[in-house]
Amino acid sequence: MKTIEELRAYYETDLLPTLTVLDRARKKVLLGLFVGIVISVIAPIIALYFSFGSVVLMAICFPVWIGVIIYLSISTGKYKKSFKVGIIEQIVRAIDPNLSYDASKAVNKSHFTHSELFKKSWNEYKGDDYVQGMVGKTSLEFSEVHAQHVSTDSEGRRQASTVFKGLFLVADFNKSFQGKTFVLPDTAEKLFGSIGSMLQSWNAARGELVKMEDVAFEKEFVVYGDDQIEARYILSTSLMERILAYKKKSNRPVRLSFIGNNVHVAISYKKSLFEPRIFRSLLNFRPIQEYFEDLSLAIDLVEDLNLNTRIWTKD
Amino acid sequence: MVIGIIVAVVLLSFAFMYNGLVRKKNQVENVFASMDAMLKKRTDLIPNLVSAVQQYMQHERETLNELTEMRAKAVSGQLSADEKIALQNQFSRALGGIMVAVENYPDLKADQNFIQLQSSLNEVEEQISAARRAYNAAVTSYNNAIEMLPTNILASMMSYQRKNVFEISEAERKNVDVKGLFKQ
Repeated sequence: MKTIEELRAYYETDLLPTLTVLDRARKKVLLGLFVGIVISVIAPIIALYFSFGSVVLMAICFPVWIGVIIYLSISTGKYKKSFKVGIIEQIVRAIDPNLSYDASKAVNKSHFTHSELFKKSWNEYKGDDYVQGMVGKTSLEFSEVHAQHVSTDSEGRRQASTVFKGLFLVADFNKSFQGKTFVLPDTAEKLFGSIGSMLQSWNAARGELVKMEDVAFEKEFVVYGDDQIEARYILSTSLMERILAYKKKSNRPVRLSFIGNNVHVAISYKKSLFEPRIFRSLLNFRPIQEYFEDLSLAIDLVEDLNLNTRIWTKD
Repeated sequence: MVIGIIVAVVLLSFAFMYNGLVRKKNQVENVFASMDAMLKKRTDLIPNLVSAVQQYMQHERETLNELTEMRAKAVSGQLSADEKIALQNQFSRALGGIMVAVENYPDLKADQNFIQLQSSLNEVEEQISAARRAYNAAVTSYNNAIEMLPTNILASMMSYQRKNVFEISEAERKNVDVKGLFKQ
């Protein structure tokens, strides 16, 4: 399945029946939520009406509130899970039957660390919607990832700042190499022109600045690497064009790193990915199209970067 | 006091500019050496290639001989940088011709030994092209430093000369003319 037309046909024939069932489940969740809120509000009112003392008030209200919260989290969890198995997994398989999907797993933390894409430190790593498999000759895995730096301030309050949120992909690269090469969004040069470029060359943490001859590419990205020639060996003129096109297609910040014969790609998103709607009907093509586009963006990486071309010594 | 600071700043900036120029010059030489190593790697693949294809290719004998001769010349080590580049350009042309001619020999195309060799050659070609781009980038940065203010003043004092970037030769820019290649 490649096009929106194909998706629409698939939606009509295969997804709609499941969605209809799921929408009933959604309404149940919503009803549960409504009833839960009503009970939570009514419990203290009743207690006040009979003018119980504050100890009794708390003794009645707390268990009720906790019960409501537990019930709601179980029912939404169930709903989410059946949605992911019934819809997201089906879309993944329809795009490429060779791929497997696991709603609760994420790309291994070690890959994220190994990619060295984010210099800011993080201590909490979460993710879900893990897809993995071979696309042609290339192995690919990706998931939604949320890496944060969590700390507690002087008053013991939890403070979290996001280091990365979005899709994180790891694919086998089609050429072998030894060093590290980074392709990062070019903020300094965009803002400060040639002075920005000079500032970039002083960013020693990433290795040497590699100036590429492709002007359009240089405008969007900045390249660092520990070997000037190897960086250009990896980033052939055609791959630069492809990366640029991929960035335009995604319309989001894209970062790449080439380390240990793999290419790591981080695509930033603001929203949470592949989550079901709760307050609005599921029987709508728009959200399905969105899931499909986000999944396709990830799966098409192999084709978009031409990773199945294996004409070099690496198989 | 003020004069002292001014002198210190002037001296320091001279030192920075001087070091920058030297670094850029060395970078050019360094990349040229890497490129040379990759060209040599390609040259070393020639005997293997010739022995792998000659039993199949009956009509391209001359080109194969030519390749062998070119290789002998290349490894003799008595070439200037310009001659080296010219010879390597001839290599590129002859190799390109052989690779196109391979299409006429299905048995050869299926030969495992040859397939492996072809990947090695592709890889080396890609590395050479990367090295060439790196060389041009290094030369451009060097030339900019030599011609732009304020480093140009220092560069002329150090008698640094402009260097030429690599250009793809006229022969390489044209599509490979296989027929012409084998008529020679």
